[in-house]
Amino acid sequence: MSTKRVSVLRKDSKNGKNPLLERCPSTNEYFDIAFKVMLLGDSAVGKTCFLVQFKDGTFLAGNFIATVGIDYRNKVVTVDNLKVKLQIWDTAGQERFRSVTHAYYRDAQALLLLYDITSKSSFDNIRAWLTEIHEYAQKDVVIMLLGNKSDMVHERVIKQEEGQRLAREYGVPFMETSAKTGINVELAFLAVAKELKQRVSQQPNEPKFQIHDYIESQKQKSGCCGFM
Amino acid sequence: MAADVHNKGVPWESQNGVLAPVDRLRQDRSDSPTPGLVEGTEPGAGQDSAMFVHAQSFEDLMADGEDVQATSVGSEGDQEPEVLEELGDQGQQTKEDQQEIRPGVRTKEEDVTSESWRQHRKHVFVLSEAGKPIYSRYGTEEALSSTMGVMMALVSFVEAEKDIIGSIHGDGYKVVFLRKSPLVLVGVAQTRQSERELSRELHYIYYQIISLLTLTQLNHVFRHKQNYDLRRLLAGSEHLTDSLLRHLDRDPGFLLSAVTCLPLTSSTRDVISSSLQASRAKSLVFSILLAGSRLVTLVRKKDQFLHHMDLHLLFNLVGSSSSFREGEGWTPICLPKFNTAGFFHAHISYLEPASDLCLILVSTDREDFFNLSDCKRRFLDRLRRRSAYQVLQEALKAPTYSVSQVGIPELRHFVYKSKSSGLYTSPEFPVPYQSEEEQERLMELYQYLHSRMHHPTRPLRSIYSCGESESLLAWVTSGFELYLCFSPLATKALATAAINKLLKWIRKEEERLFILNPQTY
Repeated sequence: MSTKRVSVLRKDSKNGKNPLLERCPSTNEYFDIAFKVMLLGDSAVGKTCFLVQFKDGTFLAGNFIATVGIDYRNKVVTVDNLKVKLQIWDTAGQERFRSVTHAYYRDAQALLLLYDITSKSSFDNIRAWLTEIHEYAQKDVVIMLLGNKSDMVHERVIKQEEGQRLAREYGVPFMETSAKTGINVELAFLAVAKELKQRVSQQPNEPKFQIHDYIESQKQKSGCCGFM
Repeated sequence: MAADVHNKGVPWESQNGVLAPVDRLRQDRSDSPTPGLVEGTEPGAGQDSAMFVHAQSFEDLMADGEDVQATSVGSEGDQEPEVLEELGDQGQQTKEDQQEIRPGVRTKEEDVTSESWRQHRKHVFVLSEAGKPIYSRYGTEEALSSTMGVMMALVSFVEAEKDIIGSIHGDGYKVVFLRKSPLVLVGVAQTRQSERELSRELHYIYYQIISLLTLTQLNHVFRHKQNYDLRRLLAGSEHLTDSLLRHLDRDPGFLLSAVTCLPLTSSTRDVISSSLQASRAKSLVFSILLAGSRLVTLVRKKDQFLHHMDLHLLFNLVGSSSSFREGEGWTPICLPKFNTAGFFHAHISYLEPASDLCLILVSTDREDFFNLSDCKRRFLDRLRRRSAYQVLQEALKAPTYSVSQVGIPELRHFVYKSKSSGLYTSPEFPVPYQSEEEQERLMELYQYLHSRMHHPTRPLRSIYSCGESESLLAWVTSGFELYLCFSPLATKALATAAINKLLKWIRKEEERLFILNPQTY
C-alpha cells in the first residue's frame, strides 16, 4: 500500500475508518481526507454526464450509452485549504443492477439523487428512491436532490417548484443542474464535500455549516424558468 | 519459469521440414497435407493445457441444445473427402445491402412496413412465450408486436402436434426458430449461411440475455408473471445485442469459436502473464487482459476453464460500453457456459484511459471491488517495473502482420485455428478487402465454406471453390481448421501446396501468434 501518515483530523467515528493522507493512485494527487459519494436516479437522467462534467469539464454528447453495473472514479477538490478526495460511484439506473447498487449504499457518505426535468416518471420515482435510500443507506448520509437537464427549457415537464416542494418534504437540499452547460454541477459536489468535511473536522467554536444556506447563496438560477 | 516448457511435451523437428512430432505415430490422416499432425500437436497448440473449455468447433457448442442432427456428425462413413465447386456469380449477390447501420447508430425508428426494412440481410427477433416482443434488430418492438404474435402462433401450432418448428425456407429467405424456454428466438436471413449456423447465432443472442439476468432469474420472472415485459429488465442492453450481431457478421473468431491474440514475443507475454498471476486475489477466477478484441493473456483458476463463448460475451460487453475507459467498472455478469444460475462480478478497467488495454478481473465476491482495484494497481506497477508496459504499448501500435510475410504470392488472406488451444490467427486484410463491405463479403464466403465443412449430415474435410474475385480453400483436420483466400488465378494444386508452406510459417511464428504457456492461479 501507499505511504500513510497520521492525519491531523479527527477520526470519523461513525464510519470507523480514518480518512488518512494517502496517495491517490489514479491521479497521483495527495489528499487529506476521502469521502464516498454515490450518484443515483433512474436510467438516462444524466448521471454519467453529470459526473463527466464535474470530472473533466466536458459534456458527453451523442448517443446514450447505459452505464454497466457501477463505475468508480475519483477527483480531489480543495475545500477550505484541505484536499478532499471524492470517491464517486456512478451507478446504472436500470432495475437489473439494483442488487449491486444496494451493496454499495451503506458505504456511501453522500448521495446525489438525480431526476430529469423533462421526464415525469424519473421525478415520480424519486419517492421510491428515497424509500430505498432510507432502507439501505447510513442513517446520517448526506442526500441532495438534483433536477438535471435544466438547459432543456422547451422539453421541461417538472417545474422547479415541484422539485423544491418534494425536497422540502424530505428535508433535503435541492437545486436544478445541467450536465450540458455545467450549471451547478461543481457546486453540488463542493457542497457535499464541505458538509462532509465539516462533520469530520468541525472546531468547537466554528459555526455549524448549513448546506441549505450554502447552496441557496451559491446556486445559479437555471435561466428562463420564471414563466413556467 | 516457462523456459523449459516448450521442450516438455513433444520434441519438435521443424528444421528438416517435418511438421509432425517425431515420436507420434502416423495416424489415419493420409489424405491430409500434413500427415501425423493430430490434435494437440498442430501449430499454436498450447504446451500444458488449454485455456478454454475444450470445444473443437461448433459441433460441441451445439451439443447441449436440442439439435438432434448433431449426433450423426461423429461417423465418418458418408463423408465426402473433397469437393470442387464453382462460386460463379454468387460472389456478387451479397452487395446489395450496403446501407446497413454503422456501429453505434440505432435505426429504431425505421418503418417496419417499408421495403428497406424487408431488405435487411439478417433480422433477429426475441419474444416471450406469451408472444410479447423483447428485441428486434431493426424497427421498434412495439411496431412489430403483431409480427411477433404470428411467429409465436407458428411455434405453438407446430407444438400442438407434439413437434418442434426448425426452420422455414423460401424465396431466398431462411427463417430459423430457436426455442429456449421461456424465450423464443427467430432469425430471418437472406445470407448463404446454413440453418445450423443461424441457429448458432441465435444461441449467442440467447446467452447474451442470460449473461445479463441469469437463467434462474429469467425463469423466475416468467413463472411469476407470464406476460411480463422483459424489456424492462433488459433496458439499456439493446446496443449490446446489436453489437453482438455485428460481431457475428464480421469476426472470424465468432465463426470459428476461437479467439485471436495480440502478437507478442513469448518472453514479453510470459512477463505479462506472470505479473497478472502474481497480482492475485482470493476471489479471482479469471483475469483477462485484452487489446481491443485481441487477447493478450488470460490467467485462470486451476481447474476452471473459460468457454470461448463466454469470453466473446465479455469482449462484446467491454467493446460496446465506453464508460469503462475513464473509471473502473464493477458489474455482475453471468457466464452462461460456466453456470447459468449465478453471477460473477467483473472489475473492468482500462490500464490507461487512452490505451486499448483493458483488464477484466472476474471474481466470485460481489463485495470485492476495492480488493480487485488493488490487484489492478499491483499488476500495472509490476508491468512498469519490469518495463513490459512499454513493450506492450509498442506492440499495440504495430500492425498485426501482412500476408506477404508468409511468402506465398497468390495468397491474399487466411484464417487458421488451432483446435486444441481454441486460438486463431489471421493477417490484416490486404488491399482488395480494405472496405467494410468487402471484408463482410469475404467473411460471408468463409461462413459459407464453414457451413459446408460442418454440414450436419455430410461434413467435409476440404473444399475448394473458385469465384470471379477470388478462389478459396478450406481444410479441416483433427488438429486445425484453415481457410485460405487466393487471387482468382491460383490453381487448386497451387492452393493445396500453399497449405504446407503456410503451416510451416505458422509453426515458425507460433510463439508470437499464440499463447503457448497459459498460466493458472
